[in-house]
Amino acid sequence: MRNAFQILCCILFFSAAVDQRIVAEDKIDFSRQIRPILSAACYQCHGPDEKQRQAALRLDQQESLLVNRDVRPAVVPGNHTQSELFHRISSNDPEMRMPPPDVVRQLTEEEIELLKSWINQGADWETLWSLQPVRIVEPLGVLQDDWPRSKIDQFVLARLEAQGLTPNTQASRETLIRRVTLDLTGLPPTLAEIDAFLSDTSADAYEKVVERLLASPHYGERMAVDWLDAARFADTHGYHVDSQREMWRWRNWVIDAFNRNMPFDQFTVEQLAGDLLPEPTESNRIASGFNRNHGINFEGGAFAEEFRVEYVVDRVHTTATIFMGLTLKCARCHDHKFDPLSQKDYYRFFAFFNSVPERGIDGATGNAVPLMRFPSREQRRELVALNAALTSRQQALETYRKKSSEKATAWANKRRAKLAGAVESDSEPNPLYQLLQLDAAERTDAQRQDLIRAFLSQDKTFQELKSAVNKAEREREKFENKISSTMVMRDSEEMRSTYLLNRGMYDQPGEQVTAGVPAIFPPLPKNALGNRLSLARWLVSDRHPLTARVTVNRFWQSIFGNGIVKTSENFGSQGSLPSHAALLDWLAARFIRSGWDVKDLMRLLVTSATYRQSSRITEESFQRDPENRLLARGPRVRLQAEMIRDASLAASGLLVRTVGGASVRPYQPAGLWEEVAFGIKTYGAQKYEQDHGDALYRRSMYTFWKRSCPPPSLVTFDAPDRETCSVRRERTNTPLQALVLLNDPTYVETARGLAERTMHEGGKSNNERVTYAFRIVTGRRPTAAESAILLDEFNQRCTAFKTDAEIAAKLLSVGESQADSNLPIEELAAWTMVARLLLNLDEAITKG
Amino acid sequence: MNQSPIRIHPLSRRSFLQGTGLGAAALVGLDERIATAANNSGISTLPHFAPTAKRAICLYQLGGPSQLEMWDHKPHLKEFAGTDLPESVRGNQRLTRMTADQKSLPIAPSMFQFGQAGNSGTWVSSLLPNTAKVVDELCIIRSMHTEAINHDPGTTLVQTGSQQPGLPSMGSWLSYGLGCESQVLPAFVVMISNGSSHRKDVLPLTHRLWGNGFLEPRFQGVKFRSSSDPVLYLSDPANLDGATRRTMTDRIAQLNRLQHAQTGDPETLARIAQYELAFRMQSSVPELASMHDETESTFALYGEKSRQRGTYASNCLMARRMLERGVRFVQLYHRGWDQHDNLPADLARQCGDIDQADSALIFDLKQRGMLDDTLVIWVTEFGRTVYGQGKLNRDQYGRDHHPRCFCVWLAGGGIRGGMTYGQTDDYGYNIVENPVHFRDLHATILHCLGIDHRRMTFPFQGLDQRLTGVEAEAHVLHEILVS
Repeated sequence: MRNAFQILCCILFFSAAVDQRIVAEDKIDFSRQIRPILSAACYQCHGPDEKQRQAALRLDQQESLLVNRDVRPAVVPGNHTQSELFHRISSNDPEMRMPPPDVVRQLTEEEIELLKSWINQGADWETLWSLQPVRIVEPLGVLQDDWPRSKIDQFVLARLEAQGLTPNTQASRETLIRRVTLDLTGLPPTLAEIDAFLSDTSADAYEKVVERLLASPHYGERMAVDWLDAARFADTHGYHVDSQREMWRWRNWVIDAFNRNMPFDQFTVEQLAGDLLPEPTESNRIASGFNRNHGINFEGGAFAEEFRVEYVVDRVHTTATIFMGLTLKCARCHDHKFDPLSQKDYYRFFAFFNSVPERGIDGATGNAVPLMRFPSREQRRELVALNAALTSRQQALETYRKKSSEKATAWANKRRAKLAGAVESDSEPNPLYQLLQLDAAERTDAQRQDLIRAFLSQDKTFQELKSAVNKAEREREKFENKISSTMVMRDSEEMRSTYLLNRGMYDQPGEQVTAGVPAIFPPLPKNALGNRLSLARWLVSDRHPLTARVTVNRFWQSIFGNGIVKTSENFGSQGSLPSHAALLDWLAARFIRSGWDVKDLMRLLVTSATYRQSSRITEESFQRDPENRLLARGPRVRLQAEMIRDASLAASGLLVRTVGGASVRPYQPAGLWEEVAFGIKTYGAQKYEQDHGDALYRRSMYTFWKRSCPPPSLVTFDAPDRETCSVRRERTNTPLQALVLLNDPTYVETARGLAERTMHEGGKSNNERVTYAFRIVTGRRPTAAESAILLDEFNQRCTAFKTDAEIAAKLLSVGESQADSNLPIEELAAWTMVARLLLNLDEAITKG
Repeated sequence: MNQSPIRIHPLSRRSFLQGTGLGAAALVGLDERIATAANNSGISTLPHFAPTAKRAICLYQLGGPSQLEMWDHKPHLKEFAGTDLPESVRGNQRLTRMTADQKSLPIAPSMFQFGQAGNSGTWVSSLLPNTAKVVDELCIIRSMHTEAINHDPGTTLVQTGSQQPGLPSMGSWLSYGLGCESQVLPAFVVMISNGSSHRKDVLPLTHRLWGNGFLEPRFQGVKFRSSSDPVLYLSDPANLDGATRRTMTDRIAQLNRLQHAQTGDPETLARIAQYELAFRMQSSVPELASMHDETESTFALYGEKSRQRGTYASNCLMARRMLERGVRFVQLYHRGWDQHDNLPADLARQCGDIDQADSALIFDLKQRGMLDDTLVIWVTEFGRTVYGQGKLNRDQYGRDHHPRCFCVWLAGGGIRGGMTYGQTDDYGYNIVENPVHFRDLHATILHCLGIDHRRMTFPFQGLDQRLTGVEAEAHVLHEILVS
C-alpha cells in the first residue's frame, strides 16, 4: 500500500515543489523535474545572459552541457561519476561547491539525487514545452466512457482515472444556471430565467441557456472586465498629478468586439495595429488605443525622453505578457536570466512601438497626442469658424510679410545712417551689423531674407498680426481640448531610430537595432514591413507557439478559476507547468482551427461535463487536490469584485443595464481623492463629484478609475490598481471585505431594494417571502434551517423597529433612491435587515 | 450544529502549499478551524535571525525637505554665498527641467543657525529645537542618494524599491513576511497629514505607495483616516447598535456554517472568521481612534495640535497607540515639503509641524519601554540643491531637487543613537564618505526586523523578487546597528 505521502506526490506531480520528491527509480521527466531546478538554482550564472555567464558554461542548452571541457564535460549521459556537474553540486569543498555557498538558492538533497538519477538515466533534454509547436494530441481512453461530453472531459477524466479519482456528480440545475450566467454575463440569473430552466425538460435545455447567454449584450461586458485589467485601462494618467483622461470609447470597442464575437486574431490585430490597416476605419483607430492605456506623466521636473521611453517599455511589457505570456520585461537591462531572450531581442521588439509621435511630457489638459477627436455637430460648426478666423489672420500675416521687403530696405538704410554716426556699437547684434554694412545690391537672397526677418522682429504691426494669429491658435486649441477624444496609436512618417539602451537607461543608447521578433521564434515573413501590423499578424499566425496557448489558458482561467498554466502571465521556464499539457494544446489547436472563435471556445468550456460537476468538496478531494488542479470537482471561487456589486444591484432591482458609455461616479466615502490629490484643482479628477440618478446603479466596470485612488470597494475585493498589465487576480478573504458588504451604503441600499421587491413580489406569507429573497440572491431555495434563521431575524427586527421607528427610518434612508412610502416602515426595515444578511452570505459572493 | 467531517488545513491555499503541508491538517473542531482561519502569521521561516525591532514606523516627509537647513551643517557656505557653484563640484549631475535652463547656480547658505546638541554634540538646526533634545537617540544618515530627480518616481523608489509602478510597498512586504500580531487591527496602517506650508500645489500621493504590487492584496496598507470612519466602511450607516450588529454577525455565521456543511469549502470558514474580525474591529478601531484615555501630559508632550485629528502630531500619537496594540508597520505621510521658492518661511512652518511631534514620539516610546524594539524611520525622496532656484536673497530663496545627497534618520529598534553616518563635501553637494542608497536602507530596516533581505522573496515574472531589487547588491549598514 502506498502511503499518503506518495499519493500526494503523484497527485501533485505537476507542481514543481512536490514532484522533485518522486522516488528515484521512476523515469525522470526533464521538463517537469529537472529544468525547474536548473532554472532556479543555476541559470543566474549559467543561463542565457551572456554577460553574467560564468566559466563560459550554460546549462540552458544541451550542446553546452555535453561539450568536452577542461576537466570533463558538465554531463556525461549515463554516468554521474564522470559528470562535472554532479561533482560540483555534491562537493564538500566550498571552492568547488555549486551553487557557491553564499548564494541564497541552494540545492536540496532530493534535488541533487534527482539530478544524479537524471544523468544516469541518459540526461534526456527537451526544449521548453511552451516554445515547442502546438501539438495535436488525442486524449487517452477512459473507463467511465459515459461521462465525457467533449474532448475536454476525456483529457480531464483520463488524468483523474490515472490518479484513481472519480469526477463529482453533476451540479443541481439551480447551481448550474447561476454558475454559467455569472460566468458568461457577470450577472446572476433572474427568477424567471431560473424557473424557465427548471421547467425545461428538453435534452438540450442547458445548451439553450448557454446560447441565450452568449447572445446577451452583457456577455461582452463580462468578457471585457478581464481585458481591461490586462490592458491596464483607467480614467486617469497615473503618474504624479494623476489627472483625467478619456478612453471609454476604447472600452466600448472591447465590449462590442466581444459581443460581435470578433475573431481573436482580428481582435489582436486591430488593437495592436488598427491604425496601420489599409484605410483604417474610425473603429480600427479607436481599437489601437489599447497601447495608449499606459500611465502618462507631466511632472514639472521630468525629462520628456525618459518618460517617452517608459511608455514604450510599458507597451512591450503589456504586449509580451498578454499575447505570449513572456516576461520579456526582464531583458530590458540585460539578457533574460532564465528564458532564451536577449537584450537585443528586447530592443528589436521595443522598436515596433517606438515611432509614435508622442510627447514624453503630456496629458495636462486631458488626453495626450496622438489622439482622435469626436466633435458634436455644434462643435464642428464652431471649429469651422475658429479655423476660418485663424486662416484669415494667418493670411493677413503672410500678406504683410510678403510686402515687407521695401519697408525692410528703408528700415535698413535708416539704421545704417544711424550707425555711420556712431563710433562702434555694441548694441547691434553682430550678424545684423554686418548685414547693415552692405549695400542693398550687395546682399544675397539669403541675406535679404535675414534682413526682412530682423525688420519684422521689431516691427510693431507685424508683431500685432503675429500675436493675433497666436491668439486664434490658442483659442482653437482651448476649444479643441474641450472636444471629446480618445487616444490612439500612430507611427511617424519617418520611423524613429531605435538603440539598445545600456542598462535600460533612456540616455545611454548603444548599438542601433531594427524592429524584429525574438530570435527563438520563427521570423517575420519575408518582405514584411518591420511595423506593428507585421508584428500583430505574426502573433496570430497559426504557427506561433504561444499566442493561442496563452489566450485559451486565460479564458480557461476566467471560467475554472485557475489556468491550466497557473502562472497565466508567465509561460517561461520559471512559470508553472501545465496541469493538462495535452488538453491545453488541443484547445489551442482547436481555437486556431475555429478561426479564433471566442464564443465557440467559451461554449465548449461551459458545456463540458468537467464544468458541470458539483463543486462540493469532500475530505478526500480537498486533501488530495486542495487547489482543484485535477478538476475532480466543479469550479468554486469567490466572485470578482465587479460581479459582487453588480449581483447585489441586480438583486435589488436597482441595476441600470445600459451597455457602454463614459465612466460614472457612484457613492464613495467623502474626501478620498482630496486627501491624496494635487493641490491645484484645475486639473481633472482631483475632486470627487459624485453622480446622481442612474449613474449610481451602472455596472461596476463603468466606475471611474482613478489610479492613485482606485474605487475602494472594488480594490478591497482584489481588483488590481490598473497601473500595469495584470492578467490574474488574487482572491483573498479579509475583514475589510466584510466591512464593505456590511456598511458600504451601496449594499444597504441594495438590501432595501431587495426588501421592497420581496414585499411586492415575494408572496403574502413571510415564509414565501424568505424563499423569494433567498432565491434571488443564491439561486436556490433555502432549507428549513436557513428559513428559520432568516425568519427569526425578521421577527426580531420587526418588533424592535416597532418600538424604534426612527432607526427604521434611518435605515431606509440610506442611498439616493426613494423607499416605497406605501410599505409599512418597520416591516420594510425588517426585510431590509433580512436582505442584508443574505447579501453578506459567503454563498452570495461565491460562484458555487 | 452539523459539523462537516472534513479535515482541512484552515489557512489559505497558498500557505497550504507553502510549507505547513498536510501535517497540520490534523482533525480539529470547526470552531478552532474558524478561529485560526483569519490569522496572518507571515512566512513560517521568518524571522531569519533574532530581530532587534518587532515593529516599525515610517515618518515620510513628502516632497524633499532641505537637508541644508535641517541636518547637514555647512558653515563654510557663507563664504561662497551668491557665487556660482563651481563646475568641478557639479560634475555631470543632471538637473531637473526646472533649473536646467537657469543661467547661474548661485550658492545659497542656510539662513538658519545650527548648534550642537546632546552628549553626542550632533549639529542640529535651530528649526528643530525639540528634536535636538532627543538627538542622542537618532542616527542621522547624511549620505543618502537616489537616482530619481522627481517626486513621483522618487517616492515610488523609497516605498517600493523601484521608480516605476508595479512593485509591493515596504509595509506590504513586512505584512507578507512577518504577518499580523494583532487579532483586531491590520498589520500595516497608513495615515496622511497636510503640512502648514503655504504652497498652492501640494504634492499628490498615490495608492501604489502602500500598494501590494504582486503580493496578495490583503497585504496592502489600510488607510486610517481622520474622518468619522477611521477605516473605510467601519460603521453602520444606519447606526445600528452593538447588540443588533452582534446578532447580525452571528446569524451570518450560522447561515455560512450551514452552507459549509453542504459545500465543504474551507473559504466559507475563513469568511466566518473574517466577519468575526470585522465585528471586533468595529469596537477596537473606535477604541483606538478615541484618545480619551490619553493624559494631559501626553497631549502636552506631542503639542496642542495633537488634539486635532488628522494633524501630523495627532498621527504620531495615534501611531504610538497602534504600535502598542500590535500593528506591525505604521506609515505616515506628511505633505507640504517642496520648497522651490519661499523656502525660509515655508520650511519653518513645516518644521513647526513635525519638530515637537517627532521628539515626542521618540520620548514617549522610550518612556514606555518601546523604543528598544520599535524602529523609527524618518525619510524623504531626495534633498535640495545648495544653489538657489529663482531669485536669491539672504532671507528669500528656494531650492530645487537634489538626489545626490540628503539626510534621513533612524532611531530605536537596534539602531545606534547619537551618531551621524556619512559625509558630504563643503558645498553639501556630493557625498565624500559612506554613500547610502535606498536599497541599503531597506536592507538595514529589514535586518532590524530579523529579515535577511536576500531571503525574503516572492516569485513573480520568473524572478525571486525582493524589496531590495534583483539588480544591484544592497548592503546592511552594520556600523549604525547596536551590535
